[in-house]
Amino acid sequence: MSAHPKTPEIERPSIEDRLYANKYTDHEDSHLGVFEDETCLDCETYDCVSVCPANVWRNEGDEDGVPLIAYENCLECGSCRWACPYDNVIWENPPNGTGMTYRYG
Amino acid sequence: MTERPNFDDYFDAIVVGAGLAGSAAALTMAQQDLEVLLIERGNYPGAKNVFGGTMYTPRIRELTGEGFEDAPVERHLGTKRFGLLSTEDETAMSIKPGQWQESPHNDTYTVLRGNFDEWFADQAIEAGATLITETTVTDLVREGESIVGVETDRPDGTIHAPMVVLAEGGNSLVSEAADLKETDPPEKVAIGVKEVRKYDRETIEERFGLGEDDGAAYHYFGEGACGGGVGGGFIYTNKRTLAIGVAYTISDAIEDDRKPDELLSDFKEHPAVAPLVKGGRVVEYSAKSIPEGGASSVPELAHDGAVIIGDAASLLLNNGIHLEGTNMAVESGYLAGNAIVEAIHAGRTDAAALQSYPEELESSYVMENLQNYDWFSDFAHDEKQFLFQQLPKALTEAELEFFKQDYEPKETHAKRAKNMLLRAAGGWTGAAKKAWKYRKLLS
Repeated sequence: MSAHPKTPEIERPSIEDRLYANKYTDHEDSHLGVFEDETCLDCETYDCVSVCPANVWRNEGDEDGVPLIAYENCLECGSCRWACPYDNVIWENPPNGTGMTYRYG
Repeated sequence: MTERPNFDDYFDAIVVGAGLAGSAAALTMAQQDLEVLLIERGNYPGAKNVFGGTMYTPRIRELTGEGFEDAPVERHLGTKRFGLLSTEDETAMSIKPGQWQESPHNDTYTVLRGNFDEWFADQAIEAGATLITETTVTDLVREGESIVGVETDRPDGTIHAPMVVLAEGGNSLVSEAADLKETDPPEKVAIGVKEVRKYDRETIEERFGLGEDDGAAYHYFGEGACGGGVGGGFIYTNKRTLAIGVAYTISDAIEDDRKPDELLSDFKEHPAVAPLVKGGRVVEYSAKSIPEGGASSVPELAHDGAVIIGDAASLLLNNGIHLEGTNMAVESGYLAGNAIVEAIHAGRTDAAALQSYPEELESSYVMENLQNYDWFSDFAHDEKQFLFQQLPKALTEAELEFFKQDYEPKETHAKRAKNMLLRAAGGWTGAAKKAWKYRKLLS
């Protein structure tokens, strides 16, 4: 509880609300992936999930395995690449001008 | 494009990425009559670019001459503010020098990269460079050890040219895949997340005490800005939008229980921040990786047939107080462009013939600054608990004591406040050690 009762209420947008503002062009194939599924099966930390600002990498449910990859959410920061301690992230630039188009940047 | 011209072997140089570094290189080379192809993967230059920052423009102004008057800037920076945030408190320092309100405004502006980068690339095009967009460079072409062109995702996408300039940004896939650069560890790369929110112009000007053309950069440090991590929060004022974000190292993002977007929301809810950012509506949400490894992360810059510039070369300074990258990107593009002109005129493209780029960069403020502050990243990680958590809290407590209204004399409060700070620093011995350790911060 804040000691500042008059602090104005701030909107906490969901990832979806935030992404809705963006201009995005889909590409059919995911530009993200993993090299070895086995590596993810052995992984316990899922750092790719922890650092992703757009909920692209998801470790849903309690089953272990390769995270779900919602590549269409991707803001193209590349953080998952550095986060994965096993260097197991495949990262390609979305082709032919697809993906995010930033207007404000 | 109805008819595709034959780009293969037509150009002197191919520039990968039409950001600030790439366009500076293309402009520099085109002004000296080289044939330059500028390849951009986005819909337009700037479409893939994000920053949490300001544009520093001395070199851009010089390169573009009178054209600079039409540069699409938002506001010149008139106010800089540093706020230290504990979870509920703020201690801040703000500066608003008269000189910054006068042209050339200390060459510091807020901009929208979508507009600014497109304008800057246009300057290169006007000087004779050719731009192709929506084209991704996927690999380099080699002949023996030499780089002699690029592979793209266009049909028949191989383009040969004597020189390739890698200006692909912090997520430098091509340079890393080609073994021209090592992948940095997660302590050396930061993630920045940013929300751009739209307001009435008057709302922004009233909240930040601005006139029509001046703007503000608010930087925040401490637990209230980005948890226990090495990093901070920021607000930049554009004309009708605010850029609100946080940036901290990827290793800190791994450690923090919150995800980056949650950290951003928490920052916006801080009692000192919320009144500045309330209302409005989100018009863009973006993220960027920031190469913060300093001088030790800068790769070999000149290769046979290729150079690396800008963020791709880790040319970015974060020493806590100075957050600079846009200026260094442009400077590296400019120096690399000049080196290539010289080499091409000599009929060469080997690394030895391109040495004036790394040499000039080495003796410029770019490497001077990076080397001078190379210790900062390791230092900040070693000291992060003290710097970002204990210090803001201790400062607040000492301030509360110092200004306390009760029946005790000022001297008692002052003495107590001083002792509180001393205790936080680890007593006289601890304080002396810290003073020695921190001396570089002030030099």
